[in-house]
Amino acid sequence: MTTTAQFLPAPPLLSPVAHNWKLALLAGLVVSVIAIVLFPARLSVSVVGAMVALVAAAFAVNAYRRRYYGGLLVAPAIAVLFVMNIFPLLWSLGLSFFAYQSNNQSIRFVGLNNYIKVLTNDIAAPANWDALINTGMFVVFTVALQMITGFLLAMLFAKQFPLRKYLLILVLTPMMLSVVASGVFFSYYYDPTFGILSYVMGEITGNQFILMDSKVGAVAGIVFTDAWMWAPFVMLLVLAGLVSVPKYLYEAAAIDRVSKARQFWTITFPYIRGLLMLALLFRTIEAFKLYDLVYILIRGGQDTKTIAYLITEIANEQNKTSEGAALSYVILFMVIVLTNLYLYLANRRNQGA
Amino acid sequence: MTTMTKMKGVATAFSFAALMSVGGASLASAEDVTLTMAVPDWPPTRIMKKFFDEQYKPKSGNTVKLEVDFIPWPDFYTRVNASLTSGEQKYNFIVSDSQWLGAFVEGGYFRKINDLLDADPEFMATFKTIHPNPLNAYSTYPHKTENYYGFPQFPDVLVNYARQDIICHDEEQKNFQAKYGKKLPCTGEELDAMTWDDFKNVGEFFQRKKGDMLAGAPADDDFYGIAYQAGKGYDFSSMQINGFIWQMGGDTWDETKAPKGQAEGVVNSPAAVAALEKYLSLIQYMPPVAKTGTMDIFVSDQLFREGKVAMNIDWIGLGEASLAADSKVKDKLVFGQMPGTMGADGKMVRWSNIGGQPFVLTTWTTESQTKEAVDFVKWWLSNDIQHQFAQGGGQSAVKAVYEDPKYVTYRPWNRAWAPQLDWQKDVWHVPQFFELLTQQQDQFDLAITGKQDAKTTLDNIAKFQQDKLKEVGLIE
Repeated sequence: MTTTAQFLPAPPLLSPVAHNWKLALLAGLVVSVIAIVLFPARLSVSVVGAMVALVAAAFAVNAYRRRYYGGLLVAPAIAVLFVMNIFPLLWSLGLSFFAYQSNNQSIRFVGLNNYIKVLTNDIAAPANWDALINTGMFVVFTVALQMITGFLLAMLFAKQFPLRKYLLILVLTPMMLSVVASGVFFSYYYDPTFGILSYVMGEITGNQFILMDSKVGAVAGIVFTDAWMWAPFVMLLVLAGLVSVPKYLYEAAAIDRVSKARQFWTITFPYIRGLLMLALLFRTIEAFKLYDLVYILIRGGQDTKTIAYLITEIANEQNKTSEGAALSYVILFMVIVLTNLYLYLANRRNQGA
Repeated sequence: MTTMTKMKGVATAFSFAALMSVGGASLASAEDVTLTMAVPDWPPTRIMKKFFDEQYKPKSGNTVKLEVDFIPWPDFYTRVNASLTSGEQKYNFIVSDSQWLGAFVEGGYFRKINDLLDADPEFMATFKTIHPNPLNAYSTYPHKTENYYGFPQFPDVLVNYARQDIICHDEEQKNFQAKYGKKLPCTGEELDAMTWDDFKNVGEFFQRKKGDMLAGAPADDDFYGIAYQAGKGYDFSSMQINGFIWQMGGDTWDETKAPKGQAEGVVNSPAAVAALEKYLSLIQYMPPVAKTGTMDIFVSDQLFREGKVAMNIDWIGLGEASLAADSKVKDKLVFGQMPGTMGADGKMVRWSNIGGQPFVLTTWTTESQTKEAVDFVKWWLSNDIQHQFAQGGGQSAVKAVYEDPKYVTYRPWNRAWAPQLDWQKDVWHVPQFFELLTQQQDQFDLAITGKQDAKTTLDNIAKFQQDKLKEVGLIE
């Protein structure tokens, strides 16, 4: 790449050629700022959009003329990523420093006030902290249950037995269902009048059984449903690791009369550790965003509101956009710290091994 | 240079395409007007669309199309809210819960219609035939001022759904009389005369375990006397609790008294606390799902249709479902007004929170669309169409229609309609509606699931409202 880039020297800053991306960037910035200051919002958005397109075009021409084809090939992907992910992300980050409600036209810069409000305000903060604690609790319980169940299922399905293929498909089905469908299914399952759970428990104990009438019951119900849906995902990853272990290692171990437990820790586990870590990472990130099941099964009742639930309420229902954005960034920060911690631990283990 | 040429070519193609689309739009005949509408997906709106397609002939001679987005109820607010706040300006008409008016008027989305009413005496005359309670709730912002926004789409009130086969059974009648020294209500008139104490008796009386005798036969499942909304979602407890509070002499924060009116001391007055206690005391007689805080209007309706409950207080809007083929109680129904509270003067106090929805015009609707929209609304509110709507399962707030003797014959619950209209009130059309509602629903949920007593609950609600409304200047 570096050699091909030599074909065309970089133009001087003010030279008006199509591949002068520095000039395009400069002009784009200046025009955008002028447009934002002078024009009404509706018009200035279009102007800024046009400027972004101009800069992008300059980049593309530059890459083409300087034969930087690699960059040109990934450009569409980067453009989509920018438009769909990075731009909204930065936009919402910007919003979190303003007092802005989506159903209100006024906007005012307030610095860190939204962050201070969501973390310390008398009215807002206690609910946020409660939701944060609930989220942490759901992360621990759902991920733990999914990892254990998924792992055990994988151990089971790594063996050959009759009907294995069909059972495997059956076990994988929950993962493919929409969360809403599973949620509705389980809300009937748990229903004290129509549900089978209360029916069975009632027959056994002779007393009326209402799962969701306490926090413990509600959390158990949600955790079970989530695990039912996502344990197969963990299983799938672990299974991929298990089938990749070369058979001859076990044969050699068997000849050496190594115990089953020892075989597991020294042969099997190193092969699946990376995948287990990956499953843990995915599921933890997902668990932080738990909203759907809490909504469908209990509407956030019995003190089960998660942070995602609260953000939906604040940002989407109450239209407190910037406050919701601030809260979202607090969570994003926590998730990033946590995942980096995971990755750090995983890498250190790998190096140690 | 080849790049430049190519880019020029692309630019030309783009501008050509743009020209084509602009030209295409302006070529379309000026006689074609499309009105786009966002509505919840249920019979009252389906019927409106059907009537429009089958019967509506625009007076202007234009071709008017009504494009309707039927949105499922649980998503309705989120979808409408997202559409409005995103600025996509998609809809000309929106079916709105009455309490959304403030938020969306202040946001600049809902169009004030005073100029349209003033310009068209016939329209004004039609408009004024609507009962003042629904008119205030559905159309005025600030509440009860002469600033008008909406027209009734489907007006609604809470009524008492009852199982005639159970409550009129001789054996049950005899046992009830022996236990309470009062007749077990059986006819519509007897249901109308019920107080909440009578309702409680019915709840207590009809608690049957599977296998117990129920109306002369062993019950095939647990059976319950009463149900009403006690759910955490949306407004699925407030709409019932407000009625209790108003009936028993308490009050909610009154927006018409702003900024002098207070929340603290009003919302948590002793009368309001007593009313909430009364509401909570009945939950023990309801199907067990009430204890989970998820018994919303749809759940209690389903329990009723599945034959698990003797009496259910619910909106008329769900009435059609109870008569539908898959309802287990479709041929066993009798309807009455929601129970009331006996006043000190021996007269029944029946305050209840109004339900139903108006539809409103949006601010970006063009002049020609507005003209057609007004004609459409006049047609919709005309006596003939309102009668047809009521016959098809809708309700009408137009005086001449619901006072017509024929009206009560359309549906069994219509007998409760007109007398209830005089007792309808509404809460909070202010922009902070959703914040007030979610906090209140959360607090009521704590009380319903037994985590918190009535006093603490209303104290918390009052404090939150006082702080919140002070912050935005609605309380001084």
